[in-house]
Amino acid sequence: MKRNRFLNIILGGGTLAWLGSIFYPVFSFLNPPKRPEANVHSVKAGPADKLAVNSGEIIKFGRRPVLLIRMDTGEVRAFSATCTHLDCIVQYRQDSKQIWCACHNGYYDLRGRNISGPPPRPLDVYPVNIVNNEIIVSKPKQMG
Amino acid sequence: MKNQNHASFLCLAAMAVLVLWAAGLRAAEDDPPLSETDQCLSCHLDDDVMPQDYGEHDIHMQKGLSCAGCHGGDPANDDMDDSMSPAAGYVGIPDKKDIPRFCGKCHSDIDFMRQYQPAIQTDQAEQYGHSVHGAKLMRGDTSVAVCTSCHSGHNIMPASDPRSTVYALNVPETCNKCHGDAQYMKKYDIPTDQYEKFKKSVHGQALLEEQDTGAPACNDCHGNHGAMPPGITSISHVCGTCHINNMEYFAGTKMAAGFKKKKLHGCEECHGNHEVPKPSDKMIGDDKSSVCAQCHESGDKGFLTARVLRTRLDTLAAAYRKASVMKERVNSLGMDDLDIEFILQEAKQSLTKARTMIHTFDTLKVSALTTEGLVKNQQAIREARVQIEAYYIRRKGLGASTFIITLLIVALYLKIREIERRQKSTTGEV
Repeated sequence: MKRNRFLNIILGGGTLAWLGSIFYPVFSFLNPPKRPEANVHSVKAGPADKLAVNSGEIIKFGRRPVLLIRMDTGEVRAFSATCTHLDCIVQYRQDSKQIWCACHNGYYDLRGRNISGPPPRPLDVYPVNIVNNEIIVSKPKQMG
Repeated sequence: MKNQNHASFLCLAAMAVLVLWAAGLRAAEDDPPLSETDQCLSCHLDDDVMPQDYGEHDIHMQKGLSCAGCHGGDPANDDMDDSMSPAAGYVGIPDKKDIPRFCGKCHSDIDFMRQYQPAIQTDQAEQYGHSVHGAKLMRGDTSVAVCTSCHSGHNIMPASDPRSTVYALNVPETCNKCHGDAQYMKKYDIPTDQYEKFKKSVHGQALLEEQDTGAPACNDCHGNHGAMPPGITSISHVCGTCHINNMEYFAGTKMAAGFKKKKLHGCEECHGNHEVPKPSDKMIGDDKSSVCAQCHESGDKGFLTARVLRTRLDTLAAAYRKASVMKERVNSLGMDDLDIEFILQEAKQSLTKARTMIHTFDTLKVSALTTEGLVKNQQAIREARVQIEAYYIRRKGLGASTFIITLLIVALYLKIREIERRQKSTTGEV
């Protein structure tokens, strides 16, 4: 009798646990939590020698586009690629060696400072490190 | 041995430098305040006859230029008659008409000014002479603004200092002190509601509400020391200083030439001046609320162009809104919306470019950009649909797998019971 009861408890408990294991993921899937934006602290932006001198490239830094520039000196710099005027994507101009926003002809210098046109503020500067020929772009300190 | 002597000498020299530096610091700390050594300040503070607007943070005071720096006299002499005598170089309070020359004595002298700031401008007095204020002052009108009207008399701070009357965020109020006073401005017969209009404008909102010092204040369009209203020919250039594309696009149109002939202000005719509202797509088109309808009549070529341009913009804006809603749905379902967001940024960029391209009044150029934007929106919508379908496929898949597992377990249970029954019946037979 005692053995039978023990088995019943094991079976009942096991069944409940099984139901839980089935319905919990179902419920979680049907009602997904609001996920905060993935907090990206740094990204690998590819081999440094693949980025040509006097050229720029847009990379994804989490949800933000970042403009990577390799200057004539070989130095690599990274800036927020979102124009501070109306959020258009800026690009590197090889002819004038400046950062340019095509929407309203705004210009920034290669330190990210707004120098002409409507942009009201400088671009955020992203720290860049090159480790074993790999470009590592990090989150600016002011963004926490 | 020689090295040891050398090291000892260096240590002694370093100690001597440290002692001298500390003594210097001590001496600086022990320096009596200017109010005790400067007889002008000493007496005027004691007698409580300081100028009403006096502030101890005045840039001149900070640089060691006390009262005598501007008013002359001998600040070392405690005899009032001697120290404030012409012999001591005392010039007293200048007449308002003399103030630009009074300040210009130093501020126009680069040899003097570069002692304090090597890159400082020294053309303020000259520019002032070319301003409306300066021209009227020359003609004897002492109601106009002089240096002290904007900079204050005795609490002057650099324009970069947020406490300064000429700091970007404070400029509109500084100008409004006179320009907003209807009584004061009566004799000039000009409007006095510029500040009220500016506050509501897109520039005013950015500057005064969002505290964006990159937004233009009065001086960015009118000039500061050489302030005057921009003329018909220069108004596009004034706006074009920042809005370069808009100016270049408009300058190449037939409308710009027509405006010039009719002496109409380029940008101002559609956007206004002080009250420049945030531009919207409603400004263009053939309905009565559009600015185009103010000049164009139903059926004329400009009217039809405006209609086409508005339709293009509306179509793209609606497609962008639809794609944005779908991206939000993807996000709320917990699916990956990162790529969609990047595509939508490009779509938004096409919309922004198209809105700028409006200033060419060229339907083909605008259509090229709106088509580009529509393609991006469609791409974003396709990506969003893929994500939403993936969400439902996963949900249905989970339901199906749960059903199958449950079915298997039930079957297993029945099978076990069947085996048990068989075992019992076999045992019974035995």
